Order: sequence, then C-alpha cells, then structure tokens
Amino acid sequence: MTGPIHRRRLLTIGGGLTFLGSAAPFAAQLAAAGSAAGQTASDYRALVCIYLNGGNDSNNTVLATDTDSYDRYFATRNTGTDPIALLPPGTPPLAIGAMSPITRRVARAGSPEHLGGILPIVPRTPQPIPAGTNATVRTFGLHPLLRPLKTLFDAGRLGVVANVGTLIKPITKAQYQAGTVPFPANLFSHNDQTSTWQAGASEGATVGWGGRLGDMITGMNGTNTVFTAMSVAGNAVYLSGNNVIQFQVSPGSEPALKINGSVGLPAGSDISQARLRDIAQDQTSSSLFAADYGTVVNRSMAASTSLNTLFGSAAAKAIASPPPLVNPVTGETGPNALSDQLYTVARMIAVASSLGLKRQVFFVQIGGWDFHDTQGPDQAVLLATLAGAMSYFDSAMGNVGGLNMRRNVTAFTASDFSRTFTTNSDGTDHAWGGHHFVMGGAVRGGDIFGQYPTLGTDRGTFRNPDMAGRALVPTTAVEQYAATMGRWLGVSESGLDTIFPNLKNFPRRDLGFMS
Amino acid sequence: MQKIDLKSSSCIGVMALMMAVSGCSDGGSPAGGGDLPDSTTPRIEATSTKQNAARFLTQATFGPTDASVQQVQALGYRGWIDQQLVTQSASHLTYVDNQLAQMKLTNPNAQLGAPHFHNSFWFNAATSQAQLRERMKFALSQIFVVSINDVRFDIRSASSYYDMLGKNAFGNYRTLLEDVALHPIMGVYLTHMSNQKEDPVTGRTPDENFAREILQLMSIGVVELNIDGTPKLNNGVPIPTYTTSDVSNLAKVFTGFAWYSANPTNDTFLGENRDPQAQVRPMIAYNSFHSTSAKTFLGKTLPAGSSDARAELKAALDIIYNHPNVGPFMAHRLIQRFVTSNPSPAYVGRVAAVFNNNGRGVRGDLGAVMRAILLDPEATKVGTAPGSGKLREPIVRLANWMRAFNATSRSGYYLVGSTRYFGSLGQAPLTAPSVFNFYRPGYVPPNTRTSRAGLTGPEFQTVNEVSIAGYANTIGGAIWDGIGADSEVRPNYAREIAIAHDAAALADRMNAILMYGQMPPSLRRRIIEGVSAVPIPAGAEEAAYARLNRVRMAVNLTMLSPDYLVQR
Repeated sequence: MTGPIHRRRLLTIGGGLTFLGSAAPFAAQLAAAGSAAGQTASDYRALVCIYLNGGNDSNNTVLATDTDSYDRYFATRNTGTDPIALLPPGTPPLAIGAMSPITRRVARAGSPEHLGGILPIVPRTPQPIPAGTNATVRTFGLHPLLRPLKTLFDAGRLGVVANVGTLIKPITKAQYQAGTVPFPANLFSHNDQTSTWQAGASEGATVGWGGRLGDMITGMNGTNTVFTAMSVAGNAVYLSGNNVIQFQVSPGSEPALKINGSVGLPAGSDISQARLRDIAQDQTSSSLFAADYGTVVNRSMAASTSLNTLFGSAAAKAIASPPPLVNPVTGETGPNALSDQLYTVARMIAVASSLGLKRQVFFVQIGGWDFHDTQGPDQAVLLATLAGAMSYFDSAMGNVGGLNMRRNVTAFTASDFSRTFTTNSDGTDHAWGGHHFVMGGAVRGGDIFGQYPTLGTDRGTFRNPDMAGRALVPTTAVEQYAATMGRWLGVSESGLDTIFPNLKNFPRRDLGFMS
Repeated sequence: MQKIDLKSSSCIGVMALMMAVSGCSDGGSPAGGGDLPDSTTPRIEATSTKQNAARFLTQATFGPTDASVQQVQALGYRGWIDQQLVTQSASHLTYVDNQLAQMKLTNPNAQLGAPHFHNSFWFNAATSQAQLRERMKFALSQIFVVSINDVRFDIRSASSYYDMLGKNAFGNYRTLLEDVALHPIMGVYLTHMSNQKEDPVTGRTPDENFAREILQLMSIGVVELNIDGTPKLNNGVPIPTYTTSDVSNLAKVFTGFAWYSANPTNDTFLGENRDPQAQVRPMIAYNSFHSTSAKTFLGKTLPAGSSDARAELKAALDIIYNHPNVGPFMAHRLIQRFVTSNPSPAYVGRVAAVFNNNGRGVRGDLGAVMRAILLDPEATKVGTAPGSGKLREPIVRLANWMRAFNATSRSGYYLVGSTRYFGSLGQAPLTAPSVFNFYRPGYVPPNTRTSRAGLTGPEFQTVNEVSIAGYANTIGGAIWDGIGADSEVRPNYAREIAIAHDAAALADRMNAILMYGQMPPSLRRRIIEGVSAVPIPAGAEEAAYARLNRVRMAVNLTMLSPDYLVQR
C-alpha cells in the first residue's frame, strides 16, 4: 500500500462532509437542550436495571446476624482453604498479615479478616421470624464493603427485597423436592436463568419485561420513542419489547459511536459519500440477515450525531463524572466500569426532557459474579464497584441541573441466581433465590421487603424449610418484584397481567416497596 | 433473475439459479482463467467454478485469495479438504515465546499480554496454509470457551490452549474433550483446578463449575436431542438431560486435578512452587484430593473407592462422549460456525450420523465431521431462501480483507493487537465475556425480520447501534490506511489498481474476491457510481493517488454493504 497516512482525514461533526448527513428527527429540539432539563421532571420516570452477570452470592451480601442465624452461617462458611464466612458486626478490619482472634487465621488481601465485620442495618419494620429460626428478634447486616449502600439504606433511599427468584407459582421446599408444583426450567443454568429473570423463559425468549414495560409507556414519549429502552451494556433480552427496540449507547464521553467517513477525497466526491451511506443502511436485501443489519445501521446513523450533540449540552455536562474506584483488594485506583455506564444513563436522563421523553427503561450490567473460586477478594471488589456506582448514581440524580430527580428514577439489581449456602473451599456454586436492592427517592427505603429466610443446610436434626439442598427456595417471585416497579412506572394492572402472566398466581401483586 | 445467460459479464443475478447445475465463467475478473479440470471428484467438480470455489473458501477459511481459489479449483472441494486435514498450523506458543524473547532484548522485564496472543492469531489467520484448521480452531474456541479478558490468565497458557485446539481440530472429539478438561487454563477458567473432594464433616462440596459447563456447553446441552438436533419431547415438553444431582456427582470426578509438577506435593496442588511449564502442561492427578465416593450421573455410576483420579476422569468422559446428544450437539454448533445459522434438521442429522460413525466404525472423528459439513448439499448450494446463510463474524471480515488484498505486516508479526473493544470489532479470539461465548447458538434478534421468520441469528447478539459503527470505522481504517501498530498491516491493491480506471471492472473484482459472485445488481450499480465519482486527474502522481482512492472506495463500499456481511 502506497498512500501516505497523513492524507487520510477522518471527518467529524462540523467537518463539512459527514458520513451521517444531517437529517435527525429531533434536531429542532436541540436548542431547548440545556435550559429545559427538569421543567417537566415531575412527569418523568425511569427504571434502571443493574444486572449482576454471573449470579451474585447474596448470602454474603445481605446477612442475618442474630446468633441463631449467624452461627449456622459461620459454621457452614468458615471452612475450606479460603473460608468465605464474613465476621460479626463490629469486627475491626485487620492489616494484611495480622492474626485474627476470631478465625485464628492471618488476614490476606480480600479475606474476611481483612475486610472487617458485617455492617449492621436495622430495618424499619421488624422481619417476621421464619420457621426454623430460633430468635426473638432478627438482626441484619451488609457485606463490609457495602458501606455506601448502608448509608443509602439508613437515609431511606435503599430497600432490600429478600429471597427473590424465578417462580411460576408459590412453591415450598417439599413441593419443589416432590416436583408437585411447577417451577422454571433449567434452574442453575446461567443463560437460562438470566433469560428467565429478564424475559420469563429459558434462552431463546425474545421479549423481556423491561421492553414490555416500554411497550406500554412508549406512547408517552412523543416523536422520540426510539429512546424508550436504552442499554449501555450490549444487547439484553430484558429491554426487547413487542414493539420497543432497545437502543444501544456506549459508556464513552459521546454515547453514540458514530460512523466516520473515511475518505479525504477531492471536491466533487459527494456522490461517493452518498453511496457509502446508501449502501451501509440498505434494507432492501433479499437476505433477512442483511436487511436486519441495515436496519440497525440506519437507526444508529439517524440518531448518533444528534445524540452526541445533546450530550455536549449544558444539561448533560452538568452531570458530575463518576469518581474512580479504589480497588479494596489491591489498593489501586481505576475506573468504575459500572459507574461509567450509569454516567451515560444520568446524562441521558438530564437531556430526556429536551427530547420530550416521559418514561424510560435502562439496562446496565457488570460481569464477574460467578464466584466458583476466590470469592473472598472477587466479591469484595465487585460489591465495592456496585456500591460505589449506586452511590454515585444516587448523588447524580440528587442534582440534575439543580433539580432533585431521585423520586423520578428507580434503580434495582437483578442477577442470574444466588449461590449455594455451602462453600466449595474458596467459592460457591449456582443456586436459586437471592436478595436484591432497590434504590431511589420513590423507594420506601430502610426496610427489608419479603421474608428473609432461615439460614443453614439440613444437618443433624436441623431442617431448614427454606433451603432445598444448598439453594434457597424463593419466597418472592421475580414477577412480583418487577410488577411492583412496573406499577410505579405507570403501567396498568391489566398491563401488568399481560406482561407478567404468572403474577396472578401470587397473593401479593405489590410488594409495597414503592411509594 | 429468471433468465440464465452464460454470457453475462459477471453472472450477477443469475448465480443463484445456476450454481448447482452449471458452470458460470467468471468474466468479471481481469485474471480470467477458465476452470481447471479435475478428475478426482467429478461430482463436486461439476460445480466448481471460480465463484463456487470462492464461496466454498468463504465458509472454510479466513477468506479466499486468488491463489487459494485456484487451489480449490485444482484439487476439488474434497481434495482440498483432504489436504487441509493433514496440514499443520504454526504454533501460537512458539510465536508468543519468540515475541517475548524479542521484547526482552530491549526490556528485560517485558511481559506477555493478551495482544500478543491476538497478534499470533492474526499472523496465522492471514498467512497460514492450514486455513481450515485455523477456522476450526476459532470455531472450537467458541464452543470450548476460555477467556483472557482478565489479566490473571496466562498468555502462554492461552496460546498452548489454542495450539491444543489446533492439534485436535480434525482428530477425535474424545481426545479433544480430555485435553480440554486437563488444560490448566480451563482448570483456572472453569475453576476445577485444585478442586478438592467433598468434606462430610463441614458440608463442603466440590466446585461444580466445570462439571456443569462441560455438560451444558461442550457436549450434550440441557435437553435430550433427536439425531437431527430437534429436542425430544415428552407430552410436548423437552426432556432435561441432567439434574442438579448429576452435576454435583460429576463435580466429584473433577476433584484432585491441579498444576503439573515433577514432584507433586500438597503445596504444588494449591499452586505453590509452580513448575515453569505448569501453565502449558496438562493438569495432573493428585489422588489424595480426589473424591472416593460413588458418582452417579447420566444414568451411569462410577463405583465408590476409586483411588485413581485420572482413570476415573477417563471413565467419566467416556460416559459423556457416548451420550447420543453429542453428535447432533456438535454438528449444530459447527455448522453454525462455518455455514449457516439455521441448518435444516436433515443437515444436522446427516452430520451427526457421521459424528456417530465416520464410515469406518469410529465415533467422534472431527475431520470426517468437517468434511460432512462442508460437502453437504446444504453447504455447497448457494442459499436463496431469505433466511439462508449467516452473518459473517467481525473477526472473519477483517481476516477476509487481509487475505483478499494480500495484506502484509511490516514487522512480520501482524501486530494487530486486540480488537475486542466496542470501538473496534467488539470481538477478539479468546475474549468472550463468559463461557457462553460472544453469542449463543439459539439467539434470536428481537423485533427483526429474522425473528418474525422464526429464525436464529447468533452473530446478531453483538450487533447494535454501537457495534455496527465500531466495525465500520475499524474496517474503514484498515481499508484506507492499514491496521495495527502504526498501521503496520497493509494491503497490496496492485491488482485492483491496475483496473481502477474501470469502475465496473473494479466492482466485478470486488464481487469475485469478496462476494463470490453474489453481488446484487443494485449494490454493483452503487459501487460503480461511488467509484466513478472519484475522478482520475491528468498528472501522474495525482492519477496514481486517485486510482488508489478508487480502489479503497470500492473495497469500503463493498465491505460496508449488508449483502457482503451475510454469507449465503
């Protein structure tokens, strides 16, 4: 190849020839950006799914610390080459190399001794004592690295929903073991349970409940329905509706990755550029795959310049960029991948009103939660990432162009499944029900919703009515959890029954955590 | 489309009707050249035009070149496959070791990173004569997934894993399965490395990660299959192949395996005092850590009392290997990587039958499976149905460009680096986000023509508003300037420059080398218009530059077109 590199000019916005062209449906609205944010904020609502890909071990995320519960927990998890039993509330974190008087082990980076004790939380409503638990008052705590979430819990903007899982009907341990009540296919399988959490069925499902909620509310979004369902984390079935299509943006400074024209051609070559545009977004192929690909290109090209321009507006720029993550194991400082995604979400929310958007559903995601191995340090890093990101997002929503939009935005966690109560020496395996966080100004925070289960596997004479083998049998269905938020978003009861066909099987249609 | 005209200058539009029945001379190519006769495989050879050969190579390699097209025409499909089955590929481990040695000349503390493995991948993809093996390695790496996204994964280990996939590419599936199970990077990735037997006193159980995924993703899948890959039904409901109990029992088999050591001890089991070659040698058995209880799974029981972990692992892999699902499971996945996203059940069944018996009574012969996949009528016929074929994988597209235009590396190392980021191709070998690969075999892109037709499109799992721009910008950059460190991998457009004054000839050349004669007339017309809009001025230097730009434009126009992006 002979052409000197310097002759190539990447054409960008304002550079004259752009590959994109200028037609964008909402260009006229750009002038409003930056001044109008929040003027209609009271009408705006957004739901943000934070997906913990791989199956978080919620046994080490939200803990019961009353003596009866904690003793069984500690006995089960304080074993193996690298035990994962977290230490009681009040235990000071030890320097690496120091000996713990509790475990008689030396603290290592990310080990329970190094992390310090569980952080106590006091739910506003006393939890009922479940069968099998021998306590008069049940007490609770969070993983030692979830301090930012404890702060939010105490401030009343974060709630816990206990023992949520994929269900078809209410089911007891005995019914599950006897197979007398139906339950979802392929429990414990990552891809299938991810799909079931997000779309109510095993892999192959094409319609998720985020997208279905979007179908019901997209009519409120005027001419910009294309932004009803937005992902910052790749294609997720969660955001696909019957009509709503998820729009992908990036966590970069400009959310839309724009196709650059790649030509520095002499004058008179506009036709070349035009043909590039025509070809790239051609949807007339006799091949379904080719036409579908052209459709995505077309959608991307139609929106990218305007979207990036909006993100350069004062409203978007007023959103503070996220703080870095200090890795709690290595001490190194680096970007928080989840915060970076939520930064894009926050900026989108800041410009939503200038686009006339009233309702949105978002999807962000972080992987690495499949803690078969080295759970101690690995989960510590990821929970610190999660807590830092949620805390950042809370503060970002507290000041959107001078407005507090916390009541307009609800974020929640979801994950493939929780993990086995037992350890495999330094990690845990796939299980079922788990505990989740809901955050926002409209959340009745500072409380635990649903029944926190009895802890412990069947051993000796002890029988745990909530645990089949090593997995919690869920007492709250994903559909109940989801419908409670869908109702807040403004979807009707009949709409919820359409989206969540199993909702009618459960006595409580609303878990009460949204105000 | 209806009229068959053998004199048509490029056969555009009529190819679909003609491919199966007749030759179509590739008049659009300036090289011309008739079809070479071949007496060895007359049935296949009857269809082996230049364009058919290019299409076959699009399925079977990282992209046709002028030379490989001639080779296929000379040997015939079958002869070419036979030759490829015995052609070996260069070692990735040797490559990264050489790179490391090179780096250490200037920096004694230099270390390998993921990009070094990726460079070795591009070196082989662009230059290897063992093209079918290279594609098979890439395909297998998406079934037997390990990922080097995390810096904890050793690059020499990853390179030796990729070599291992190559060594077994056309060998027996059973050997492959064992080599996968015992490779240290798989042990680390799916965490059966240093996995210990259960402890009834504390309730500690073995790690179930590998046991679950070897069943779900590498051998039998979650539901029982008919030989044609369709699920067996019981009262209309698929039948699970295994339960939690099968997984926890099989997990006990994968206990007591850890790092290679010449002098194994409890310390070396846990990774202390690690042998320098432990990252590239198979894990060894540490019998004292191996579960001795009985293991019941897939309807079979390995009796209690085993004191030989390795023998028990072999017995367990035999049970998995002999499960009737393996044939249709592997057939479906491999067909999807090479030929089509939606093979007919009959096609899957034909390939699965070869997996079950290669004709000489051998089960699991992957070379025979590969031959069956590529020589099946469903593969050799141009797909005319709206849902035929598959979306080309981003990595394959870039490799396709390198090969079509004889891209060479100035350093000789093909320093392309990683292409996994969203602003790049969004894909690099061995960088799947999880053991579930970049895309799932059953992925249905929602709200699309594909989904409305009830079809799967695995590669669409990574197609979105961001990734399409990442590809367009990356391939555009490569086409115009080259790619890699200092754009050091650069094309040689000499053959195209020679015809650059003739926009139609250039379009036809694109059709031949990139689209095996299947370019739709509307695309051809647009390419001609786009190229013609770049005038060739009078001055010699300016004219040369304009000719180069016309070529770049033609390649860019073609490689952004959705019709190019789909292999049919």
